[in-house]
Amino acid sequence: MIAGVVSAQDETVLVVGHAESTDSLDPARGYTQTTGIINKVTYETLVTFPSDSASEIVPLLATDWTISEDGLTYTFNLRAGVTFANGDPLTADDVVFSVNRLANVVGNPSFLAANIASVTADDEDTVTFVLNAVDPAFLSNLSNSAFGITNDAQVIDAGGSAAEDAATADAAETFLNGTSAGTGPYILEAWESDVQTVLVRNPTYWGTAPFFDRIIIVNIPEAATQAVALESGEIDIALDLTSDQMPGFEGNADIAVASVPGNIVHFLLMNNNPDIGGPMSNPLVQRAVRLALDYEGFATLWGGINPGTIMAVGQQYAFTPEQGIARDLDAARALLTEAGYPEGFDITLQYPTFTFQGVNMDTNAQKIQSDLAEVGINVTLEPGELSVSLEQYRTGQQGFGYWFWGPDVLDSIDVLSFLPGGKVGAERANWTDENSEAVIQELREAARVATDPAEREQLFTDIQTYLQENGPWAPFLQPNVQTAFRADLQGYVWHPQWLIDLAILSR
Amino acid sequence: MSSIISLTPASARRKRARRIVSIFLKNPLLLVGSLVLLVWLLVLFLAPNLATHDILQQNVSVRLQPPSGEHLWGTDELGRDIYSRVLYGARITLPAGIIVIVIGSIIGTVIGAVAGFYGGLLDELLMRLTELFMAFPTIILAMAITAALGPDIRNAIIALVVVWWPSYARLVRGLVLKVKRAEYVEAAQCLGARRSYILWRTVLPNCLGPTIVLTTLDIGSAILTFAGLSFLGLGPEPTSPEWGRMVAVGIDYFDQWWTWLFAGAATASVVLAFNFIGDSLRDLFNPELR
Amino acid sequence: MPIYLFIFRRILFTIPLLLGITVVAFILANAVPADPINANLPSNQLNNPELVEAFRREWGLDKPPVEQYLTYLGNLLQGNLGRSIRSRQPIAEDIGRFLPATIELSTVATILGVTFGVSFGVISAVWKNTPVDFLVRTLGLIGISVPLFVLALVGLTVFHAELGWVAGPGRLSVRLSPPPNVTGMYLIDSLLAGQWNVFQDALSRLILPSMVLALYITGMISRITRSSMLDVLRADYIRTARSKGLRERFVVLRHGLSNAMIPIVTAIGLSYGVLLAGAVLTESIFAWPGIGRYMFSASTGQDFPAIMGVSILIAFIYVVVNLVVDVLYYFLDPRVRAA
Repeated sequence: MIAGVVSAQDETVLVVGHAESTDSLDPARGYTQTTGIINKVTYETLVTFPSDSASEIVPLLATDWTISEDGLTYTFNLRAGVTFANGDPLTADDVVFSVNRLANVVGNPSFLAANIASVTADDEDTVTFVLNAVDPAFLSNLSNSAFGITNDAQVIDAGGSAAEDAATADAAETFLNGTSAGTGPYILEAWESDVQTVLVRNPTYWGTAPFFDRIIIVNIPEAATQAVALESGEIDIALDLTSDQMPGFEGNADIAVASVPGNIVHFLLMNNNPDIGGPMSNPLVQRAVRLALDYEGFATLWGGINPGTIMAVGQQYAFTPEQGIARDLDAARALLTEAGYPEGFDITLQYPTFTFQGVNMDTNAQKIQSDLAEVGINVTLEPGELSVSLEQYRTGQQGFGYWFWGPDVLDSIDVLSFLPGGKVGAERANWTDENSEAVIQELREAARVATDPAEREQLFTDIQTYLQENGPWAPFLQPNVQTAFRADLQGYVWHPQWLIDLAILSR
Repeated sequence: MSSIISLTPASARRKRARRIVSIFLKNPLLLVGSLVLLVWLLVLFLAPNLATHDILQQNVSVRLQPPSGEHLWGTDELGRDIYSRVLYGARITLPAGIIVIVIGSIIGTVIGAVAGFYGGLLDELLMRLTELFMAFPTIILAMAITAALGPDIRNAIIALVVVWWPSYARLVRGLVLKVKRAEYVEAAQCLGARRSYILWRTVLPNCLGPTIVLTTLDIGSAILTFAGLSFLGLGPEPTSPEWGRMVAVGIDYFDQWWTWLFAGAATASVVLAFNFIGDSLRDLFNPELR
Repeated sequence: MPIYLFIFRRILFTIPLLLGITVVAFILANAVPADPINANLPSNQLNNPELVEAFRREWGLDKPPVEQYLTYLGNLLQGNLGRSIRSRQPIAEDIGRFLPATIELSTVATILGVTFGVSFGVISAVWKNTPVDFLVRTLGLIGISVPLFVLALVGLTVFHAELGWVAGPGRLSVRLSPPPNVTGMYLIDSLLAGQWNVFQDALSRLILPSMVLALYITGMISRITRSSMLDVLRADYIRTARSKGLRERFVVLRHGLSNAMIPIVTAIGLSYGVLLAGAVLTESIFAWPGIGRYMFSASTGQDFPAIMGVSILIAFIYVVVNLVVDVLYYFLDPRVRAA
């Protein structure tokens, strides 16, 4: 590229290289990592986490809140003087509208609002939530950008609706894919699917003004291309590198690197419905698969660790890599024989053609195929385009699938999604109350409402111990997040929820 | 234009052999092309003997190693031996290109011959159909077909056959029209031979030569297109040592040039061999161009 | 035959072909084993019969195929190609956004390829059976034999990553804003707006992909030019021209090349089709936001309305290019005029 060329206005521009996975930029509908990164800076939530951890809940659009004795009613006081990017002031009605809209459009993140019985505006600056059941993770939940507050007037003008029939009545998605209607430090200027997303600074932002005038998130799917683009100065930060590339930056004074354990777990899904999963629905086979995977190999391949269970290492109460499952081919073969497959069987593995944070799923799928071949399971690979495969997975049509998971809620109870009847457990793997054991259902119910730390630790330990032996999941890799950026870029910190806060970067 | 298949009396065999040698000597491109192709055919058949490693054997501790004595052409992202994989790749890419052209040329020849020979409404209909399929660029049509049928090696071949037959239909129709007017065909008609007999036994054999030349020229581009499709992920499954697929994986590791260069060079050399041969054959059958 | 009558007749002939193209595209788009409803509605909406019904109605999935086709054709005639399932944008708009990038790339590649191809072909024919001829022919064969994706990778590795002579993938540095949209082609638009730095950057990014494509075109055109020239140079009028004592260079260029142009023009027309196809590969490697990449994501994403739209568009372009070639014949070849 031609050095020293800047836009005509002499703006400060941040260029981010990223493998885009955006499904929608409507906060009530989008639910992918890229959506999270972008909506983090265009929308704001009532409460949030500190910029570098999920250790506590801190105020954002709400300044303070009270929780009722029974733990079911939360009342929030809104921050005064906050305006949307178009100048409208933030009111309690905007909050009510945004939450109801999320609940009613039946988008991918709508499940986050499922436990909310009602949300009402007490006055201009006060909002009350009533829950269906006690939820120790409710505030963590609220910090998800799906709960980003939108300007009700603007969204309604664009055809939006928060009514009960919003799933058909709401027509604001196209509008929200083209611009944002939030209170965040940036405004969405344009999203060209698969090409780039452009954000511009919100001139009326109520908080500390961000450093960059303009942020361009350019879609670069291949890790190698991201690395070259970073070296040439084409981009300022590369979000999806692999561990292979890190040594290449050593001795390059222009580039700084960061490698953190991350919290994404790559796992296999083995559908519990025999009509869909076939042999994979057999609990013995499921255990055999867990024993057949070469955990050390995957960790070497990408630079990462063996997740102890489907709970990411680093989550509270999660097992450590040392507590993870060790490969034992003989035990796996014995289990297959016991299950009635002494000669193994044929199965198709479905997964998306996708590289996430530098981890190429196609490469892992080939290793899974090779690992399982050693115990006689003959795997045929069936890669699919991300959106196509994602829908098969979300609708529970995959018998044997390979996916990755980042926590929805930064609380141990996130793992309940994977238990019988849970969002992932029931909908995607057909692990239901009908075909699961009472013991895990009891653990689940207890963990859902427990608040005492010692009790929680015991419950989540028991759940993880159970999951290592049973269940339709075979988690096999928690890759490190490899990020590299121009050495003059300040303020980069990885965050377990939104991965990167673009608004706190400066030069 | 004469047919390249002609029967040689035993007495002339030695003379004939000498002539073939002189053809090769006068056409260095033909010689080089044939030698390269011969090497690849040997590789195709002897791959298990020539390979040094199991092509599916992964070993992540030796991944992305540059070429060495242990791994002649280095290892890929999963520590598989690239040399052995490229050799085995010949068993996929080469036959795929040949199958596409053989099936495509047979279908095209039959359609073109029937259209040209019977003429009239049938001719009109078949030729409009041919034109229709020719209007879609190869990869676009093939991509649409594999999208509908699902990506795998068989569907990629089907897609390419659908794309390839029209050029043969057009060529053969033209040839049949020319041959139809020849005296010996008219003679056969006068003698009361059945029309289908004339078509299959008299007309078609005389169209064979040019068709075979086109075939040789086309195998190269069929191989290119097939490799292109699988480069895009619309061909054989990911573990397959198909050349286009190997190059596609190499994009992620383009600094490690050996991950893609050998597979790419293999594709180029095979296609080049077919093009050298096809080009020389065409010149031999159009001597006036020399 | 006067020119307007000739063109009119030609256009009349292409109508059934164009109709046929829409039929083929429609059949392809509907021969899907995958259920478009499953593939395109979020999971939690699948349980809602009302939503599924709305989707069916929107895409006409509740009507018999023939009626679906006629609806489609009706919309097509009004320039409405439907909406992409993935981008949820009108396909005509999507195409309008992606096509200029492909046209810019293909046009530059064609100009380069034809220039080199014709020159090499003429050189080869004039010095036939000399080492020069041999070299040019061998290079031409290499040009059509090396896979585009290998050439592209070699180019990127050597000229971009190692030597840094040219800019990397993409159409324009993300730090630059595209020039004001007039033609959609950055080279032209940036000059019109007087944005010299944008022009430089766009050109620097165009060089590698267009050279890669041009190499293939050069190979193809030089082969055809050579044989066509050889045909012509043996003709009587060339001998007459030579016997009249005209200078050799004059004979070759004035009489030879102009008469050899007919098959060359056909080849150029054909090569445009090849380019559109080759664009799929080049665009995916060079992150070129063109119609090839759009087609690729549509086909892997089973976005059948978009696949249909692009296939029809490209087939139409091909037909139109052939039409133009026919019209050029009219000017180049007196026999066509007489017919």
